[in-house]
Amino acid sequence: MSKKLLVVCFVLACGLGSIPLAKAFAQDTTLSDQQITLIKDNCVSSRNTLNQLHVSDALLRVNMGQAYESMTTKLMDRFNSRISYNSLSNSDLVAVSKDYVSALDEFRLDYITYEAQLSSALKIDCEKQPADFYDAISVAYKGRNLVHDDVLKLNQYIDKYQLALDKFEKDYQVIGEGAKK
Amino acid sequence: MSEDLSPYSKHRFLILIASSILISFVLVVISMALYNSSGAAQLDLSRPGYVSVRSKAVTNDSDFENYSSTGSINQKVISEFKVLYTKQATKTKAADAFGGDPLNFASLGLELTTEQ
Repeated sequence: MSKKLLVVCFVLACGLGSIPLAKAFAQDTTLSDQQITLIKDNCVSSRNTLNQLHVSDALLRVNMGQAYESMTTKLMDRFNSRISYNSLSNSDLVAVSKDYVSALDEFRLDYITYEAQLSSALKIDCEKQPADFYDAISVAYKGRNLVHDDVLKLNQYIDKYQLALDKFEKDYQVIGEGAKK
Repeated sequence: MSEDLSPYSKHRFLILIASSILISFVLVVISMALYNSSGAAQLDLSRPGYVSVRSKAVTNDSDFENYSSTGSINQKVISEFKVLYTKQATKTKAADAFGGDPLNFASLGLELTTEQ
């Protein structure tokens, strides 16, 4: 029994111990000495750039988030309600609005993730841990691209709502002409 | 008058203070966790480090008209809404938010060029 326990402990210790080793090896293979030197040399300037980006992105998030939020709360939802209030069909408009709200939620979540990634990159001392700094920037880079994709998606839904609006107008005109006849 | 024999009775005041501090500490930890996880922290430009952009945040969006959710629907109403929607949509989509490549290693000066 005690032998089995010892074996299990040994396997666990080997497994856990190999994680940081694998990480270290992975970092060694990723960056060449030249790259490490370059990161150390440009450490201060790249950190300054990242700091500025961190601040300007926060402002962008506040202003764009507000604009995207207003599109749904001040226009889409209210127009959809007005159509329902008049007992007209607005299924297409409601469907696009729902998708838009989902995309907006995704944008919020992805931004939270990206901000956390960029913050953790900024906490790393690039002179002492250049490889970690490089990896953290790679992760934040992907996170920012995701946020950008979300913005593009939101813009697409804004266009889709416009198309649904045109369709609603056409349908309304058809109903109006039918009523006249 | 009977004397209170509870071992804590002599330190009631200290226990009250300590428990108050403990409860407030727990509440602060919970609220900070909520503040960070909810995304409120990311929108809070009153934090230190955001002084330079604080004034640039849009605080008054009165030009973004609140459309009325009640009232009749007719061709004129639809056309008016379409004009309003197009105006705001164009404004919202104008900025290429989070576009560009500022986090690119080349932009940060962290990429080796052929000369290096």
